[in-house]
Amino acid sequence: MRRVFWVLLALKSTLYSQNIEHVKNTDSIVHQNLEEVIISATRTQRQLSSIPLPVILIPKNQIQKSGTIRLNEILNEQTGIITVADESGFEGIQMQGISSDYIMILIDGVPLVGRSAGNLDLSRLTVGNIKQIEVIKGPSSSLFGSEAMGGVINIITDTPKSETLNGSASFRIASFNTQDSNLTIAQRKNKFSYNFFANRLFSDGYDLREETPGQTVDPFENYTFQGKIWYEINNTLSLFASGRYYFQDQDLSLFFNNNTFEGTSDLDEWNVQVRLEHDLASSLKLQYELYYTNYKASELLANPLDNEVFSQSDFDQHLFRPEIRANYNFSPKKALTLGTGWNNERLNRTFFDEEIKFNSQYVFTQYDFYPLSKVNIILGARFDNHSEYQSQFSPKISIKYDITKNLSFKTSTGYGFKAPDFRQLYFDFTNSAVGYTVLGYNVAVDKLNELIDLDQIIDVVVDINALNTPLKPESSIGFNFGVTYTNDNFLLEANYFRNEIENLIDTRVIARKTNGQNVFSYTNFNNIFTTGLEINTQYKLTKNIKLLAGYQLLYAKDKDVLDRLENGEFFARDSESLETFRLEKSDYFGLLNRSRHTANLKIFYEIPQWDSSINVRINYRSKYGLINNTEGGNDILDIYDPFVNGYALTNLAINKTFKKNYKLQLGVNNMFDYTDIQNISNLAGRQIYGKMEIQF
Amino acid sequence: MKTIKLIIVLLLSTHFIACNSDDDAPGPEITPVVSKRIENLHAPQTGGQGQPVGGEFTKFDFTTGEITTSNIDWDIAFRGTTIAVNGGVVTGTTDEPARNGAAAAVILTNTFSEVKEAPETSLFTQDADGAFAIPTGSGNGWYNYNFQTNIVSPIAGKILVFKTRNNQYVKVEILSYYKDAPASPDGTVHESRYYTFNYVYNPNEGDKNLE
Repeated sequence: MRRVFWVLLALKSTLYSQNIEHVKNTDSIVHQNLEEVIISATRTQRQLSSIPLPVILIPKNQIQKSGTIRLNEILNEQTGIITVADESGFEGIQMQGISSDYIMILIDGVPLVGRSAGNLDLSRLTVGNIKQIEVIKGPSSSLFGSEAMGGVINIITDTPKSETLNGSASFRIASFNTQDSNLTIAQRKNKFSYNFFANRLFSDGYDLREETPGQTVDPFENYTFQGKIWYEINNTLSLFASGRYYFQDQDLSLFFNNNTFEGTSDLDEWNVQVRLEHDLASSLKLQYELYYTNYKASELLANPLDNEVFSQSDFDQHLFRPEIRANYNFSPKKALTLGTGWNNERLNRTFFDEEIKFNSQYVFTQYDFYPLSKVNIILGARFDNHSEYQSQFSPKISIKYDITKNLSFKTSTGYGFKAPDFRQLYFDFTNSAVGYTVLGYNVAVDKLNELIDLDQIIDVVVDINALNTPLKPESSIGFNFGVTYTNDNFLLEANYFRNEIENLIDTRVIARKTNGQNVFSYTNFNNIFTTGLEINTQYKLTKNIKLLAGYQLLYAKDKDVLDRLENGEFFARDSESLETFRLEKSDYFGLLNRSRHTANLKIFYEIPQWDSSINVRINYRSKYGLINNTEGGNDILDIYDPFVNGYALTNLAINKTFKKNYKLQLGVNNMFDYTDIQNISNLAGRQIYGKMEIQF
Repeated sequence: MKTIKLIIVLLLSTHFIACNSDDDAPGPEITPVVSKRIENLHAPQTGGQGQPVGGEFTKFDFTTGEITTSNIDWDIAFRGTTIAVNGGVVTGTTDEPARNGAAAAVILTNTFSEVKEAPETSLFTQDADGAFAIPTGSGNGWYNYNFQTNIVSPIAGKILVFKTRNNQYVKVEILSYYKDAPASPDGTVHESRYYTFNYVYNPNEGDKNLE
């Protein structure tokens, strides 16, 4: 069986598929997990259960049975992962208390670009062609570089399985006239395989405040197309190519100062990936990969009466990345990975003077071995050289120890970083309505001098010379320690995590303007930590009933705030007497948008005699703060501030298969119609849906 | 003004009792400090929202504990969120009163009760050409202004300590900028430019004790 644990990078490996066949007929949780192969954790194929890191694998059948259509929905149902909207309404993922800015999102191993204020909107991604979703928690910069500071989410899309032409078509209709259509065609013929996928999502949007003009979410329509081919050139060479195109059109309307403005918001995204796999020997495999992606967003709002433009913004980001990887197996249990690559990034957008280019080169290595038969160690490191900021060295060590067949420990610690992004370095933005200015760090001095020449500045409140030292990358050291216990019917995973993050980049006032407003720029200042416990359990109650439950306890705090609390520097106002009192350390709740408790409970019930299944999923997050209530007199989140109430959402789905190839799905999301109009605009009420799928 | 309430609490320090005791040797007469709350001190202004700001300041005299129209016997004055002291020179804003006293101010970060005495004299500043002793602007002096809600809120832990024109010390905590001091002001409901504040005033010249 040990051989099953060690399957290395062979997409077309027959050995691998034999192993899967071998375990498929057993019916326990352990063996189910054995089937599952994960590739993001080590960039080689590894059995999920052998990975010395905290990982989540979401298989296709869970995605399908849950009736979700976009990536954010299914991720939101996983332990310790929530999608949150920041105070500007931009939605992103949060994992181990670390926000979206620091989590890398990959499709088939290559990164997505196009973030709004750091958040990557995961509703951009359909789940219709996803084979599995792999989530690696904790710093992963040793393999993936910048942005992988808090973890990595890799979306693996479908591969063709059958020699005959096959595919599926589905149509789903839901509340708010939300229509989701999917078409898949795939075939695997001799040396050539291909896969084509198309998705259309249309929705009328919804309105939580009917008394005000305009909608909460305006109507939108988007399309995703993906085509992939595989070709075995000869015994040692094979080619993989993939192209993906996504576009969305949305009608916008905005009611502001008694005027209604109308316009459109358009998104366009391209990804092209070409990979050549070269098996020099059975123990030495090379991969040459080229990747190009372009993300464009443009938004225009104008007054329909006189066509006067209210706001316009354009965003055009490119990433080109060649990479070469080599995997060498000294022996079945000793593998070395080497890789090198080059990131060429360009961004042109409104509020930038010109197109900005970033260049970085990197090398990474990983050594995966078993010093003892029950101990697996993975050592990894990566070096990034960048045109704009200081070079980064990101090491990581992961260890797994199998004490018995059922019990194992795993621990890992690693360094992660996130480079200052384009916006933090080159932004030049003045809010036309209010009049404040935000300047990127690298342009701050020049722009400030321009404002001084225009007599718009009263005084500069920082030492301008200090702005000449480069902004430092944000960095973290992450530690995880986990225990896994498993037997035929039961699986328990507990993981303690702590992420210490330094040099967090945030805005501060650098000058005061004559209009009474401030000039902001970015600087390194906060040191924060996120720490807590994740617990995941699976229990096979009967042959047909499976329970899954998860819980995360989270503390996410700013260390500088804790120090200042120690010094008694924070105050709050008594709501009755309005008098000031000094805050204690225990009055500090922590960072915004972090819930102390998140939990989920899922029940999957199979009814084989009716070809049916039913599942209920409940997701809970406890109260959290959304804004620092400066009315309370301080800019930290204390227990006297207003909080967004905790809430639970219940989703239900019923699946039925007819005549083997016809699938019907009925379901309801947010069954008890929970909304919080004041605080959570992305939480629509109850949504009912029905879906029909035909396989051919 | 109609609702200025006098809640004089005489803090009888042991020292004070001792001084008034017949058995004691005669010493300098110490007058007890005065603790008082002023409610709804109206500080209107004209202009604002991009227009030039103007209008008379509402002047306050700590000696009487009342607002005053005197051009000489005042210590501090309010107009909108701006607070002037009767010391230094005019800042240059329209309609401001002439300075003819030696009043000065300093902002401390503390709770009201923990400010037990005035800080050293060198920390006090007076109004000057182009700058008030209590700095104006959100986050600079005694208040924060929230652009989303249009709410002016006194910053918790900011205690204003004044030296009066007669060289007496007083500490002030501003509690609210809204009429009748609502706990959660709403700009569309509650009228602004009505100060509610607590103060402790030491009538003894040069005596820094503030409790």
